[in-house]
Amino acid sequence: MDEYAIETEGLTKVFRSRWSKRELKAVDDISIRVPRGTTFGLLGPNGAGKTTFVKMLLSCTHPTSGRAKVFGRDSQEPEARRPIGYLPENHRFPTYMTGWGMLEFYGALSGMDSASRRRRIPELLNLVGLDERAHHLRLGKYSKGMLQRVGLAQALIHSPRLLVLDEPSDGVDPVGRKHIRDVLNGLEREGVTIFLNSHLLAEVELFCREVVIIQKGKMALSGTVASLTSGSGYKVEALGVPESLETELRSRARSFRSVEGTLELLFASREEANWAVDRLRASHCELESLARTRSTLEDVFMKTVDGPISGVTAQ
Amino acid sequence: MNGQTFNATAAIIRDTFREAFARKIFWGFFGCCTALLLFLMFIMRVDVVAGALATVSIFGNSLPSTNVQNLVQQTQSVIAGVLYYAGMALAVFASAGLVSAVFEPGRIELLLSKPVSRTHLLLGRFAGNVLVVSANILYLVIGSWIIFGVKTGVWGAGFLLSSLCTIFIFSVLLAVIVLIGVLLDSSAVAIMVTFALMIITPILAQKATLERLLSSEWSRDVLRVLYYVLPKIWEVRGIVQNLILNKPVESWMPVWSTAIFGAVVLAIGIWRFQRRSY
Repeated sequence: MDEYAIETEGLTKVFRSRWSKRELKAVDDISIRVPRGTTFGLLGPNGAGKTTFVKMLLSCTHPTSGRAKVFGRDSQEPEARRPIGYLPENHRFPTYMTGWGMLEFYGALSGMDSASRRRRIPELLNLVGLDERAHHLRLGKYSKGMLQRVGLAQALIHSPRLLVLDEPSDGVDPVGRKHIRDVLNGLEREGVTIFLNSHLLAEVELFCREVVIIQKGKMALSGTVASLTSGSGYKVEALGVPESLETELRSRARSFRSVEGTLELLFASREEANWAVDRLRASHCELESLARTRSTLEDVFMKTVDGPISGVTAQ
Repeated sequence: MNGQTFNATAAIIRDTFREAFARKIFWGFFGCCTALLLFLMFIMRVDVVAGALATVSIFGNSLPSTNVQNLVQQTQSVIAGVLYYAGMALAVFASAGLVSAVFEPGRIELLLSKPVSRTHLLLGRFAGNVLVVSANILYLVIGSWIIFGVKTGVWGAGFLLSSLCTIFIFSVLLAVIVLIGVLLDSSAVAIMVTFALMIITPILAQKATLERLLSSEWSRDVLRVLYYVLPKIWEVRGIVQNLILNKPVESWMPVWSTAIFGAVVLAIGIWRFQRRSY
């Protein structure tokens, strides 16, 4: 059994203009390994090459060089796509189909026989929260949120081992988003590998265990969410701090702010935080809180896409 | 073809029918065919007495008395000719949209992400399209054959063969539509090119006359290349009419060379589709 759900080696895509011979390197030498059963996030600003990368995994786009494997099989082979469920970002599901009919069609394309489809379709439509009425309603009458839900059902129709989702909660209200997250959490518990491409960093941070950030086609950063967002500093909050002490504390703090009489100070190390606590207690100030702070994935993302492309790996 | 591939190909064919129904293409075509059959049924009054025509009237005007079989075959030949060109034009209009719809961004990616080879995807759509058009052509031809048979007692099989020829030529033109769809994603260009073929082939069919009119050898060579390479839509029509009139067919070259053209164009379309990135 192959250890990785996805494995790419030097995957590169260069688009060449047919007439002017101009070249655009959309994806530049990306090598990643996604262990099976993990939740993996692909991040990057618009135009970073995320969608091209996903399309190469699915063999919609042919790589200029390098290769991609899905569960050990070359992604160019049709059989390699059998364990994959995919929800594209800007999907255009045929509007003449009903929700049921669409699942019938894509289920058949995924190799399911009609008995399995008949059994699975009502199950899935209910799982994604589409009621009886929607089952036989044409997709042209569906709202954006309903289309996302039926799209997710389509990706799950053949019980895939790898789920590739491109902006799965796009256009979905917060309740629906939570519902989709619950469905995905359930799949993760069942051991399904989930590859998520999303702009919603908070969603990726909540859901994914590992992430890769790509920028201008290159891999800029990769690692576990826990390691990327861990240990950025210590926050101390205190009341009634005399001005002279506040000046002294500010000079050693990485950042500070004062909100309605409470002084918030952020220190880079544990030693500095302890020093600040000692100074505050010696001056009989009241401590409101002391906590270790974490970076958000957004902080990491912004630092990465603003900074130079380094190819850093954090584990 | 294993069971899963067969299921997938059958699903693509069913989907083509569903789309043809939803876009009213099938029903539009069906309506035109029904109108033509009703037209035949009501405008033509034929009374046959002991194998000869007692009276024949079209639009209420009496025609000169003639042999029944001859008249029926002549009429069928005319209808087959009309059907061949007019029906084909309708079919091309109807099909161009069905082919290019598959290549729409947001739809093609999902199809390509499934465990179906690109060849099967394209051939499934091609076959679905041919079947949509075939269903209507067979309805029209068999319907008019029954009307003629019931009214005259003449049941010649030649007219039925015309449906196969029409479907064959349509398949060749559909291969052109598929190739242009894969190359350019444009149904408008596909329609223009197939119409150009339908217009140019009757001219090329006059090869002998044109060769005499052309002054230079190179222009005659160009004419010959075009004649032998391009489908012989006009000449196949002549073969259909000969079959209906029970006349001998001098050469089957127009049929097999057209079949080769269609197969090569479709093969190029599949090859290009396999290499293309979406």
